[in-house]
Amino acid sequence: MISESNNQCGCPEHLAMASVPKQQWCEPYDLSTALKEGTIFPCLNLTFFKAPLGESALKPASGAEDPQQQKREAAMNRLMEVSFAVNDLTLYLDTHPDCSEGLSLFCQLAEERLHLLADYARDFEPLTQLSMITGELDQNEYRWPEGPMPWEGACV
Amino acid sequence: MFAYEKRLQFPVKIKNTNPDMAKLIISQYGGPDGELSASMRYLSQRYTMPVKQVGGLLTDIGTEELNHLEIICAIVYQLTRDLNEEQVKTAGFDAYYIDHTKGLWPQAAAGVPFTALEFQSKGDVFADLFEDLAAEQKARTVYDNLLRVIDDPDVRTPLKFLRAREVVHFQRFGEALEMTKEKMNQKNYYWVNPEFDR
Repeated sequence: MISESNNQCGCPEHLAMASVPKQQWCEPYDLSTALKEGTIFPCLNLTFFKAPLGESALKPASGAEDPQQQKREAAMNRLMEVSFAVNDLTLYLDTHPDCSEGLSLFCQLAEERLHLLADYARDFEPLTQLSMITGELDQNEYRWPEGPMPWEGACV
Repeated sequence: MFAYEKRLQFPVKIKNTNPDMAKLIISQYGGPDGELSASMRYLSQRYTMPVKQVGGLLTDIGTEELNHLEIICAIVYQLTRDLNEEQVKTAGFDAYYIDHTKGLWPQAAAGVPFTALEFQSKGDVFADLFEDLAAEQKARTVYDNLLRVIDDPDVRTPLKFLRAREVVHFQRFGEALEMTKEKMNQKNYYWVNPEFDR
């Protein structure tokens, strides 16, 4: 260990290292487009020519006639949109902790998510154990096992 | 700790049985660049990360990869759940069926079982972050390859979502690399290994 660096040749500093430019805040997609495209940020939506922008169509699911099922699907869809935006914003804030626009949108959507989970538990069945409490379910009944399993594709 | 939320991160609703396609897509469950490998990689690497925020990012992305693993399994499950005896014999799913029936088991498209040899946890922040950046690119390539050969829109829609996530994760790992560089010896990033030399 003679010295920290052997840079004596006038080459630019930081040879043998890569860089990735830092993302700047950009106006997010609406939440429905964001879920379909897989990011809330238009600037990060770098599509593949075999699967271009806007290809995905998230149908309001089953086209079910049953109004109760339609209501369930609409509620699940909104929960997915809001929750996905919270996921994507979390990763953004992990590397941009000082971004006030990002933080304020995160707080607003995280709060909406809390209400959506409570509403879903009250109207259908609980998706989280905490929402058995926030949805004010009857505490004499164990409702956690209710509802279709997520991989059955029954809900959306 | 992890807590379960009883829904998928992205909806999967597939009408048509297609065991042939399931055999390809299962690679993103247990294959070399699959979601299981991704999750285990990030959740293993995070403990010794010298920059706290990078450990946090690895936790959050490693957790999201668990959601993706569940989406892939839901796709494979729905493509094979109505499989009949005739399709078992003719649709290229026979070898898998003999060992697993319709059960989900992590393997690559070519039948190689999942193994921890598919990822590294090196205990060196640059080695690990470059592995993570490469992993996101390799996973993106697999999704590109799948999107070239799969026509069913019910299957393409979640695959396209998962592909987009790889690009976002690459960007975040790139930003984590920049955050790490700021904390290192500015003359020579390789002077010490901050995960070992204290």
